[in-house]
Amino acid sequence: MVSHNHTNATVRPKGLSDKKKTALAGYLFISPFFLLFAIFGAFPMLFSFYLAFQKWNGFGEMTFVGVKNFSLIFTDPLFWKSIYNTIVIGLLGTGPQLIAALILAVALNSAMVKFKSVFRVAYFVPNVTSIVAVAIVFTVLFSEQEAGLVNATLSLFGISPVSWQTSEWGAKIAIATMIFWRWVGYNSIIFLAGLQSIPKDLYEAAEIDGAKKWQQFLFITVPMLKPIIVFVVFTATIGSLQIFAEPLIFGSGFREESMTIVLYLWREAFSNNAFGTASATAVSLFLLIIVFTTINFFASNRLDKSGK
Amino acid sequence: MMKKRALMLLLAVVFMFATACSNQSQSENESKDKGSSEKVKLNMWVFGSTGYEKLAEEYMKDHPNVEIKIQSTQFDDHHNALFTALSAGSGAPDIAMIEVNNIERYREAQDRFYNLYDFGAKNIKDKYLDWKWRIGESADGSFLFGLPTDIGPTAMFYRADVFEAAGLPTDPAEVAKLIPDWNAYAEVAATIKEKTGKPIADNVELVYNALRDQAPVQYFNEKEELLIEKEPYIKQAYDYTVSLIQKGYLGSNGLWTPEWGNAMEKGSYATLLAPAWMQGVVKGNAPNSAGKWLITNMPGGAGNWGGSYLTIPKESKHPQEAYDFIQWLVAPEQQLKSFKDMGLFPSAPSVYDAPEFKDYKDEYFGGVNTAQVFAEAAQKVKTVYMGKNYGLVQGEIIKALTNVQKKKADPEKEWEEAIKRIKRQLERQ
Repeated sequence: MVSHNHTNATVRPKGLSDKKKTALAGYLFISPFFLLFAIFGAFPMLFSFYLAFQKWNGFGEMTFVGVKNFSLIFTDPLFWKSIYNTIVIGLLGTGPQLIAALILAVALNSAMVKFKSVFRVAYFVPNVTSIVAVAIVFTVLFSEQEAGLVNATLSLFGISPVSWQTSEWGAKIAIATMIFWRWVGYNSIIFLAGLQSIPKDLYEAAEIDGAKKWQQFLFITVPMLKPIIVFVVFTATIGSLQIFAEPLIFGSGFREESMTIVLYLWREAFSNNAFGTASATAVSLFLLIIVFTTINFFASNRLDKSGK
Repeated sequence: MMKKRALMLLLAVVFMFATACSNQSQSENESKDKGSSEKVKLNMWVFGSTGYEKLAEEYMKDHPNVEIKIQSTQFDDHHNALFTALSAGSGAPDIAMIEVNNIERYREAQDRFYNLYDFGAKNIKDKYLDWKWRIGESADGSFLFGLPTDIGPTAMFYRADVFEAAGLPTDPAEVAKLIPDWNAYAEVAATIKEKTGKPIADNVELVYNALRDQAPVQYFNEKEELLIEKEPYIKQAYDYTVSLIQKGYLGSNGLWTPEWGNAMEKGSYATLLAPAWMQGVVKGNAPNSAGKWLITNMPGGAGNWGGSYLTIPKESKHPQEAYDFIQWLVAPEQQLKSFKDMGLFPSAPSVYDAPEFKDYKDEYFGGVNTAQVFAEAAQKVKTVYMGKNYGLVQGEIIKALTNVQKKKADPEKEWEEAIKRIKRQLERQ
């Protein structure tokens, strides 16, 4: 308690101007965030850069190993496979999803649909459902057995049962479907917000000029939505590089068909107690995300310019 | 100026935060020290339903100076929380329960635990099954991590109706005679497949595990050297499982999946090679199959799956009191109570002679004295060193077997790939 009074006295000298007092209060108000962020955000991030050059089993002494952790993971075919998997699952999960989300949003925005708020809530529900619960339900749907719901449905069309958990494409499609289901509603709500900010008179003018509905969509809706589309693609890219819980629960025991980068990292750290290589994976993922975001950034910039 | 002030303020807040933390821990220590003359508080972490709360009450009645607080968490959360606490060096309880496979993770963290040999654990060693005790020790046997609680000796569960349909005997003693070893098991598998079209077992993993557990050495020796290339046993277990897969004698349900559970009720396979605690799982999954599932000896010997230890992390301020309590808790008398109340299978063989054990009968399993079957199995389990990377090797071998079954992959190539993957991961530790 003594130290408490003392520190207070040193930082609050008399005769502070009102302006400075307000500023002080402001800093005090925002300090909880920065403190918590420093402890639970910044420190672990910086520490994982440090750990990437150490060998550590979670207990005991760390030993400096230089870039050995990186050479170990870069020579591991499974690491590259996990990057490939992440990108493929990401594309499968987000590509069709964004198109579907846009179509849903346009449909919801049209005057014909009733009970709009009900639909909006319904779209959003998957996103607030626990990932673990989703993954467990999908594991049952995508059961490997012939009697599994998806396999049974496919057999109606004469398609033979798929090994959803152990085959190369089965596992990826199943996980991508989970991502699709979870995020399509979320993204269509964002698209919807964008659609509602497009001035109505543009459409009226187009109609007078004789533009058809699909022409209006292509030449008014899509260009006007560009900032929203860029935002959604950004977040979806970063999100899909971090796919983790779905393959962890769906794929049985770190199989290579469903191994993603974050799952690889997780296996290293929490299953194999190799925190050095886990951190090296984290650093590699960090660089990868920077590369992808930069590509996105330049692509959207060029899109912007060509639009003008 | 503004910036400087702000920075100072930030530092001051951090400082306050830090002093607040240290003050708190100081006062905590003080109260703990004071408490030792009056009342000792012991925090205990367990997982699952152990029924230890009831026993702790009993203990506290006789030891009014001890207060025991038990916190029970789900299996994975429990072990992860414990790992984090031990790694961070703060937050661990006075007594921690650790499951047999998870104890391997702590082999390198010996300095985070009290050596229970320092408290006189040598004196009670003879009360427990030797193989069980050995797993709780360090590789050289000088350090004891934990005292043994329950175990999971394995036996053969089988569907009497499937055996009958295949024209085979159904009485447990006769079935044991019919299938004394693994060659006989494969022959029976052929008969059952031919007569009923059903697989002998539902799943690859449990058959492989049963064979693995009967090997004199498994994946590692005490020096943590990988043995599976030098010693023939694990490869033999692998090859045997592969031969059953290729003849179509094994089903492909993943452990713990809903289909796996349903198959227990439907009786779509003949045998389940499983530990004592699986009795509860079978009853839960197949409530209408009473009398159809019976239990007899496993071909070729027995194994162990599951069971735990009670450890005292080094952070505990009251290791002596903690030791006194866990020594009481795992004593044969209390193990018998845990068996009767919660079905925890005792690791102290003297319990097997108790009248409650001798006259035990389970109507669900056709009135068989299942306790006796598992007790016999418990005494046949081999003493084996598992090693800290046990789970990693197990995972890769199961992956290879799954590929042989589901992808019709070449078993030799899969075996080599598995060894490559294992070595790649071992390098990093």
